Amino acid sequence: MNALLRILGLPACFLAMIPGMAPVVRALSSSVGQKLLMAASGLSLVGFLVVHLAGNLQLYAGEDVFNAYAAKLHSLGPILGIAEVGLFGMFALHIGLAVSTAAMNRTARGSAYAMKQTKQGLFVLPAGGASNWMMVTGILIFIFLVSHILDMKLKKGFGVDYSAALDASGEATNSFQAVKAVLQHPAHSVLYIVCIIALGIHLSHGIRSALQTFGLHHRNWNFIFRWSGFLLAWAIAGGFISVVVWAMAAKNS
Amino acid sequence: MSSDTLNLTLRVWRQAGPDKPGGFCDYQLDGVSTHMSFLEMLDVLNEKLIAAGDEPVAFDHDCREGICGMCSLMINGQAHGPDRGTTTCQLHMRRFASGETITIEPWRATPFPVVRDLVVNRSAFDRIIQSGGFVSVNTGNAPDGNSVPVPGNRQEVAMDAAACIGCGACVAACKNASAMLFVSAKVSQLSILPQGQPERSARVLGMVAQMDKEGFGSCTNTSECEAACPAEVSVSHIARLNREYMKALVFADR
Repeated sequence: MNALLRILGLPACFLAMIPGMAPVVRALSSSVGQKLLMAASGLSLVGFLVVHLAGNLQLYAGEDVFNAYAAKLHSLGPILGIAEVGLFGMFALHIGLAVSTAAMNRTARGSAYAMKQTKQGLFVLPAGGASNWMMVTGILIFIFLVSHILDMKLKKGFGVDYSAALDASGEATNSFQAVKAVLQHPAHSVLYIVCIIALGIHLSHGIRSALQTFGLHHRNWNFIFRWSGFLLAWAIAGGFISVVVWAMAAKNS
Repeated sequence: MSSDTLNLTLRVWRQAGPDKPGGFCDYQLDGVSTHMSFLEMLDVLNEKLIAAGDEPVAFDHDCREGICGMCSLMINGQAHGPDRGTTTCQLHMRRFASGETITIEPWRATPFPVVRDLVVNRSAFDRIIQSGGFVSVNTGNAPDGNSVPVPGNRQEVAMDAAACIGCGACVAACKNASAMLFVSAKVSQLSILPQGQPERSARVLGMVAQMDKEGFGSCTNTSECEAACPAEVSVSHIARLNREYMKALVFADR
């Protein structure tokens, strides 16, 4: 466990070697600092999901609109590349901190209880039940992420027939048809729906928890914090699931 | 009168010393009065063990009225037993049913090593307090009453935080063995009051650093600590601790 923490701490060690960075790295390496970074990276990823969902919902506008949007996005060239590096950085930070804090927590408990019960009356969503599922749902989201990059970006989805998306040169450049091909593959649609539900659970705790980590807690506002986080989480998850359902329905009709 | 007594099976964690292996021992205890407190029930068990020539079960206790923070115990997987807002000494045996098996464990956290049986060493909390949980005042005559004005609402919030008795139930109940509720209560109590201002930023940085050094886990905002706290300290103090930490990092002069 300590070796794992040391490996995960390497990027922070290198960062601390940059003149002027050492105090910042030290401050953000504390347990509270790590949770602040966790919250910040998590909320930025939520921001990405909102933008990504907005893009995906253009599928409903038809093949031409969606492909024009995809072409516009790809025409950004190096800007898109930089944005992707930033996005992967956020994912790496979020996952790295998750593993490092989970290892810290496991070490802190030491030996497990023979019997452990909650004292929270309402231990279902959204009160705090989801917080016990962050690691499991996080792993599901990671599996989804890997599959999603293979399917949509590299067009190498396992068992997916991209023939409808091929252009004259034999490359799968028709994004609209590629999306449909992936989502109409039964195993993929099931994986996508399961993982997006996991995303909804993850965010239903994550957004609210991030607000608490940033110190937003006030008796007049807690109702808004709690429910806006919950609603945003399931609005995002519902939006993505609707796309999968739409593609499956289009196959059957 | 028969309904006023219970026959219980107690599954108690026994451990001869910090580095000795531990395990559960089952004890049958009959005729337990429902009017006893949980600790009085353990006293009865110990008298029985001593009479039989066995080693009594070691457990922490002192005031037995819920204010000292000495008693602990994980009772059927719940810190201080099934009731909310009470300590183990305030828990009554009428809360249990005859024939029940009660599992009794010590707090489990690496920074709280078992001393013996159900007694754990909570000195980690003392070291956290020593690293900032105090105010420095000049000795001499006591200052005039009301010479330092504190608005009523501030007093109330500070008092809610100061209600923490430092028992460690938050650590015991937290799935991450995090001490955030304890540390946040101590940071809040002093950061709200004028007497705590001079050391405000050094306090939060020092106490969080010591909390990490002791090896407590991190906070996942599960709020199990709040539910387990016998003094009903709110997780709003954890939010305040986070604010104090950010403020100290970014705006403090040093």
